[in-house]
Amino acid sequence: MIRVRRGAAIAATAVIASLVLAACGGSDGGTAEEGAAAEGTAESAPAEESAEAGGAGQPGGTLTILTSAEQFLTLDPQVVYTGEDLAFLGATIQRSLTAYQVAEGDVEGTTLVPDMATDTGTASEGGKVWSFTLRDGITWEDGAPVTCADVAYGTSRQFDIGLAEGGPVYAVTYLDIPTNEDGSSQYLGPVDGTGQDLFDKAVTCSDDNKTITFMLNQPVPDFNYSVTLGFSPVPAGMVTGEEYANKPMSNGPYKIQEYTKGPGGNLTLVRNENWSKDSDPYRLALPDSWVVNFGIEETVGEQRVMQSSGEDAYAMVQSLTTASLPVVFEDAQYESRRIDAFDAYTIYAAINTEKVPDEKVRQAIGVALDREALLLNAGGTFGGDYADGAVKPNIGIDYAPTGLWDDLLGAPVPPNGDPELAKKLLAEAGASDLTITLDYGQSEDNDKAAAIWVESLARAGITVKPNPIERGQYYGVVFDNPNEVMLGGWGADWPNASTVLPPLFVQGWNLSRVNDEAYAEKVKVASQELDRQKQAELWHELSKEAAKKMWIVPTRFGRDQRLAGTNVGPIFSWSAYGSYPYPNMYAVQ
Amino acid sequence: MGAYVLRRVLIMLLLLLLLSFAVFVLFSLLPADVARLTCGKICTDQTIELNRIRLGLDKSVFEQYWLFLSAIFVGRTYGVGEGAVVCEAPCLGWSFTKSEPVLELILDRLPTTIFLALGAFVLFLIGGVLLGIYSALRRGGWQDKAITGVALVGYSLPSFFFGLVVIYFVIIRWQILPFPRYEHPWDDPVQFVQTMILPWLVLAILYAAFYTRLTRSQMLETLGDDYIRTARAKGLPERTVIGKHALRAGLTPIVTAAGLDLAGLLGGAIILEAIFSLPGLGSLAISSVTNPDQSILVGVTLITATFVIIANLVVDILYAYIDPRVRAS
Amino acid sequence: MTGAFLEVRDLHVDFPTDDGTVHAVAGASFSVSPGSTMAIVGESGSGKSVTAQAIMGLLNPRAAQVSGHVFLNGTDLLECEPDDVRRMRGSVMSMIFQDPLSSLHPFYRIGDQLVEAVRVHQNVSKSQARDMAIDGLRRVGIPAPERRVDDYPHQLSGGMRQRVMIAMALINGPDLLIADEPTTALDVTVQAQIIDLMMELQEQTGTTMVVITHDLGVVAEMAKDVCVMYGGRIVEHGSTDDIYYRTSMPYTQGLLSSVPRLDEVRSERLDPIPGNPPSLIRLPSGCVFHPRCRERSRVEDDLCRTLEPELLEVSPGHTARCHLVDGTGGAP
Repeated sequence: MIRVRRGAAIAATAVIASLVLAACGGSDGGTAEEGAAAEGTAESAPAEESAEAGGAGQPGGTLTILTSAEQFLTLDPQVVYTGEDLAFLGATIQRSLTAYQVAEGDVEGTTLVPDMATDTGTASEGGKVWSFTLRDGITWEDGAPVTCADVAYGTSRQFDIGLAEGGPVYAVTYLDIPTNEDGSSQYLGPVDGTGQDLFDKAVTCSDDNKTITFMLNQPVPDFNYSVTLGFSPVPAGMVTGEEYANKPMSNGPYKIQEYTKGPGGNLTLVRNENWSKDSDPYRLALPDSWVVNFGIEETVGEQRVMQSSGEDAYAMVQSLTTASLPVVFEDAQYESRRIDAFDAYTIYAAINTEKVPDEKVRQAIGVALDREALLLNAGGTFGGDYADGAVKPNIGIDYAPTGLWDDLLGAPVPPNGDPELAKKLLAEAGASDLTITLDYGQSEDNDKAAAIWVESLARAGITVKPNPIERGQYYGVVFDNPNEVMLGGWGADWPNASTVLPPLFVQGWNLSRVNDEAYAEKVKVASQELDRQKQAELWHELSKEAAKKMWIVPTRFGRDQRLAGTNVGPIFSWSAYGSYPYPNMYAVQ
Repeated sequence: MGAYVLRRVLIMLLLLLLLSFAVFVLFSLLPADVARLTCGKICTDQTIELNRIRLGLDKSVFEQYWLFLSAIFVGRTYGVGEGAVVCEAPCLGWSFTKSEPVLELILDRLPTTIFLALGAFVLFLIGGVLLGIYSALRRGGWQDKAITGVALVGYSLPSFFFGLVVIYFVIIRWQILPFPRYEHPWDDPVQFVQTMILPWLVLAILYAAFYTRLTRSQMLETLGDDYIRTARAKGLPERTVIGKHALRAGLTPIVTAAGLDLAGLLGGAIILEAIFSLPGLGSLAISSVTNPDQSILVGVTLITATFVIIANLVVDILYAYIDPRVRAS
Repeated sequence: MTGAFLEVRDLHVDFPTDDGTVHAVAGASFSVSPGSTMAIVGESGSGKSVTAQAIMGLLNPRAAQVSGHVFLNGTDLLECEPDDVRRMRGSVMSMIFQDPLSSLHPFYRIGDQLVEAVRVHQNVSKSQARDMAIDGLRRVGIPAPERRVDDYPHQLSGGMRQRVMIAMALINGPDLLIADEPTTALDVTVQAQIIDLMMELQEQTGTTMVVITHDLGVVAEMAKDVCVMYGGRIVEHGSTDDIYYRTSMPYTQGLLSSVPRLDEVRSERLDPIPGNPPSLIRLPSGCVFHPRCRERSRVEDDLCRTLEPELLEVSPGHTARCHLVDGTGGAP
């Protein structure tokens, strides 16, 4: 799942996400995106600006990002795994084989397009072999050409640094390299070198060093999506240790001029003279430079952007505090430069099917729950929308309404729950005096959420015992030793439900301990379906089935809000990452 | 006097030792599982266990403390073989989130904090004491009432709010000063002063309020003392009476408060460092809470506590210097 | 009154407070001839210490309203600039206080405090001033003054401290010394030593002295003239003999009978004055002493309550403020 970077803010709400993510990768449900707010996506990205999205901006100038973070978690292309960083670094210094179209809209903004590759890849053997051919004239910042070997080398780093530092490791999962009995790869990465021959067989380069071919251990129809994560090239054979995380070699339109961490520090990107526009039809790369200022206190940062005077007209913040949301979203002067859009997460409560095997009991829990109070607790309309399943609308074509709260359970369920229906379901299941324990990562907001659980389920005669767990250990505990219900959150790694439904309900992040062979088989079929439209339809059905079986109670599709200065464009949320559309942004001259 | 200082220094060292143990134990009692926190994404029980051994967490608290303590003098190696990390003496622990020795991280941030603390300290002490004296001398007059009133407001201002208001008007709205971007004074003195002037003033105003009140009440108390009447009866000019006789007598509580305040500031002005984007100890502490790094927290806590203990020592020595009766006892 | 070194004429001191004005001194007049000693006697709150501080110019001008005249060697101090009076303090006129421990600055060496007193008035070097300080200490009978000069006040005994205070007061050779309860805080044996010392020094230097005390024993030993103060007023004034043996005011009588006397063998027990000193904000009407006066009934028409008596002459140089005094020099 794509992670969300949050600044080192004093505000407790912002802390939660980073804590949890640092631990194992996941949002602990109901708290990750506090303070969000309100209007729809369409409203925040007015239609006339869609034209600009296509690239009506002017070149030149400097765009500035104000962040409370003290540094990038990493700049290492094999370690970067947070949506905002992937979007920003991908737009500026780290090109990949493919990328997402920079456009407004959930479908348009998640459409795969070629980047370094000439097309979005060629699958053969039913999706078990994938080839990509590099465009001409792609170079490193030192002028050397970017070759297939560089892409292969970068990919190989997933096996050491990627694994060690918690980067995306789809190469480890998918490449046809033998594994040991414990499931670990026999290839230990380029630094150690053990099993290099195995890797070299799985990833091959054409004689002209232009075409890279990946041999996979299973058909992966959307492998060309996964190459946006962690498959960026690194100069082959370059000795890369931890320092590469601070000074990676750029193959994009910009290069690093300065990188100082800590409050008052900054990352300054300037034009890479060795980048040629001809080799890169994907990016507009309009500003002459980018500056990321670290350690700007959240309130200070948003005040600067709100005021937008002087250089701050070219500045932007990547989040807004709860306190300033009403101001920003009620005052018309911010209308053209604010964004309120979905973030990456679906917030849910997983029901442990081993402890609650009866579908009707699970449904009763979901039906009784007061989702309205939970949403209010998360910031109301700024916090998100009611979720009707694990798959979120901003994933693109894989989303379709499941109708979970309309008719899927036999009757419409209002947001504040339907205790009578819940009682009826319990009666049908023959369950009485039901007591469940609710695991959650402890925070002030989650404590309140737990209270809402206790209260609303009590209306249906279900007793809830809250079990707060120290946040840093939350996922470790609930994976080893789960109770009946666990709060959680999940975000897709790329716009395909293959990064949502399989991990949640088959293997990977299966908090619900679902063990449904028929479902798993259908998931496998869908995963390997080559017809994208047909695949989407299969996902729709599977999402609906999961919703009906109530393996999770989806409570909220998270939103987040941001604001840019008056001279920043274009302003819309790029659905692929839930970020600014960095590749095409410009400074009004 | 020499023996007195020596005795106090010895007590201080003992106190430091006890304190370091207390801090160490306190942090090791926290529920956070450091081995898991430093584990990374692919977190198997095996890696956690290896981490536990690497960090010495498999040992008893006492053994861990001994390792920590001895590392200060002889350094320490975390783990064995290729993955081993060497932390050279004096080693105050190793940050696995930042891959740097804790001491280095602290020393990196210390100058900023020291400059912030000292600058503000000089301003608020001089400003506060002078205003306090003036206020006491004009007791009951409009000047006294004005100063007391402003001091009351200043004293009760929340620093976060006040700092933000100052930034909003001075920097964002009126653009009198550029955005704070810290540079060391030896690198860029102009930028240094431009960045520090506001946090200095904000801190100074927040603290001066307290010293104004304290000095005023101290002066009012000592001005009524018999030896002040004696000083006047001797024909001393009022300036000498106030500046020498009264001030020195009222100095002890001011020195105590100032010493502890300075120590506190040297531990990092957490809120002001955050809103002025200053790379000091306070922001280091904050970031090691948000991005949990226990070794940094232990280090910063120890350093801060050391400042407090040293400040106490200095205050006590100053006491003895100020008040000869203390020396005797 | 020619020939007087210090003449206080119609001195009024008021302290405005939130509760009303405190009339601490109301029209005090007296004079002291050069080289002689005058005692001011009264209970606490009688205005005697305020009178002394008014003479010295030590009252805070923001707190106290002082009017009348204080002539020192013919110069009216109340007409002088405050800074001129300040220059006279410690040089022309000096003062010592009741509690020598609290009156010496606890944080400075006694030598430094003496040196400071010298150098504020005399243009001498530090070492000269230090020699003068040691001399001064020797003069007041402090043993090994060369060593003692570096002591802090807390290292000295109470008597020694008062000797230091006296040395400090006399170090610039003042013409007037005001001693405010100089022995009250001391042990009885030490009291006598200090009184002897002061008298001895006065003999050597010819300094005019005003001794403020409630101790009539001290008065008898030191003073030639006595003022008795009550409720901010002088109620009886005369030579020591007049006051002791020809007492004309019931209050003075009360004072005398409330202390043990060594010079008279008295059979009766001590007889304190009933009641408390009056509030200086709301003074009694008529004679300020009348609520406590035992002789009141001897005056007709309840005059004591309605009319304040004038200070009338009992005999030449002896005056008293009492309706029982007929004003023709006769005794009551």
